[in-house]
Amino acid sequence: MAEIKVEGLSKEFGVGEDRVVALENVNLDVGGHVFVSIVGPSGCGKSTLLNILSGIETPSSGKVTITQDNHDAEPGYVFQAARLLPWRSVMDNLLFVQKDRSDETKARCQKYLEMVQLGDKVDKYPGELSGGMQQRVGIARAFSIEPDVLFMDEPFSHLDAITARSLRRELHEMWSQTKKTVLFVTHDVGEAVELSNRILVFAKGGKLEDDLQIDLPFPRDPAEDAVAVAKAQVLRKFEELDLIAS
Amino acid sequence: MATTLEQQAPGPRSAEEERLLALRKKEIRDRWIWRLAGYVFFLLAWALVSRIVGDNLIPGPLRIARTIPELIESGRFFSSFGATLTRIGIGFGLAFLIGIVIGVLTQSRWWNGFFRDAVTISLVSPSLIWALTGLVIWGFEPQGWIFAIVMTTFAVVTVNVAEGIRALPKDLTDMSRAFGVTNWRRQRDIVFPFLAPFVFTALRFGFSVGWKVTVLTEVFSSNEGIGFEMRVASQLFRMDELFAWAISFFIFALVLEKLVLQRYERKFFRWRAEAST
Ligand SMILES: Nc1ncnc2c1ncn2[C@@H]1O[C@H](COP(=O)(O)OP(=O)(O)O)[C@@H](O)[C@H]1O
Ligand SMILES: [Mg+2]
Repeated sequence: MAEIKVEGLSKEFGVGEDRVVALENVNLDVGGHVFVSIVGPSGCGKSTLLNILSGIETPSSGKVTITQDNHDAEPGYVFQAARLLPWRSVMDNLLFVQKDRSDETKARCQKYLEMVQLGDKVDKYPGELSGGMQQRVGIARAFSIEPDVLFMDEPFSHLDAITARSLRRELHEMWSQTKKTVLFVTHDVGEAVELSNRILVFAKGGKLEDDLQIDLPFPRDPAEDAVAVAKAQVLRKFEELDLIAS
Repeated sequence: MATTLEQQAPGPRSAEEERLLALRKKEIRDRWIWRLAGYVFFLLAWALVSRIVGDNLIPGPLRIARTIPELIESGRFFSSFGATLTRIGIGFGLAFLIGIVIGVLTQSRWWNGFFRDAVTISLVSPSLIWALTGLVIWGFEPQGWIFAIVMTTFAVVTVNVAEGIRALPKDLTDMSRAFGVTNWRRQRDIVFPFLAPFVFTALRFGFSVGWKVTVLTEVFSSNEGIGFEMRVASQLFRMDELFAWAISFFIFALVLEKLVLQRYERKFFRWRAEAST
């Protein structure tokens, strides 16, 4: 079982007048087969948190550990933009992040490309694909290393509503099958309610303000009453915390 | 039944597709016609001027077309081109390495300050200065022309490489870090492919500048090469030879640019072409 532990984590950028506090004293414990959403206004440190967890950034203070059965866990990351190598084919983009290039590995990459319905596009360059397809390659890339934990930073925010919706379904399907721990950043409360067991609410200044459980059965249809009610509750929480700009 | 299937398989082109294809063909043909027209016009104008001014001062195209084979037959043609190419190979090869090293160094603020004005001076100053300086210090020794070629071309490489490094895609290197990709693979699959077009541009521009200064150094400080041949021809007032060397030089530069460099560029950067279609 994967476990993410964050203790007293703070992160600052810049010095003097340019000093920005991105995260302040964040404590967190996430583990097992859960889908955790992180919501909050822009600039509240959501991306910074994922970047520290995945090793792109280093903390200013505090401690972060990600373990899988007591050894270091391997994370996968889906970014807001696909971040593919434009000079490599779709298949080579997946192979770029693999430990080896054995036939077994290639078959696994092929499997995840098929899961996002791109099995016939392996030889294409990213520039030949639509934005939605590129994002799906990014998702397949993250899944293809069969990570212990999966970080996703607003992965659908650049996509049109219909593409985003079908990708959300695919993502939920893959999460149910692969039993990963997912940390999913979004500014869309509806999306968070639809996908997650747990919602972490961040406020300006990088403070973790609230930790909500959403105990509704999957799959959740946004049109269903219970889902709509849950969404309204989360939004009310936002108002209480004064997170919605007036 | 099989016949109907066969008829369906390739699918006849639609009228619209046919129209677009015809339009493309016409466009390509038109471009070639104009290009050819340019050559015909130039040759006619040249012949006319030669007729007016006199064949001794400005030999016409037909005469040059006879002189070039004569030069080839005498063996001077290839030995001179060979000598010039060797010079540019050595001089620009060295400038290329130096340019890349300085380009990489200028990422640091201090080295950037250190080299900044030297790079600007190299970019703006006439190559004549370096050719003369090299001649005065080293005479006909190779150091003289190597110095001149390096001084005029290294900055072209430096500027392009530095620009490439400054623009390195941080989003991609961050991505590779998040996935724990090894540093070597990151260099090979992100940094090199990203810098390749910048280096290629450096190569092309540097080469075109390199030609000019190389031929110039041969005029002053050499007893072989195209520049030397041109000097001799002009001193002996052999205008046909002077023209023959110049025209051969143009043809050679064109062939190199169009057939070699452009083709390589296309092959190298196939992913770009695919992306833009
Ligand atoms: N590399 C950086 N350098 C300076 N400031 C940064 C950097 N990354 C993020 N920040 C600042 O930290 C704060 C949090 O940023 P971020 O984590 O991207 O927010 P979010 O993803 O929630 O919108 C912002 O004020 C942002 O300007
Ligand atoms: Mg963000």
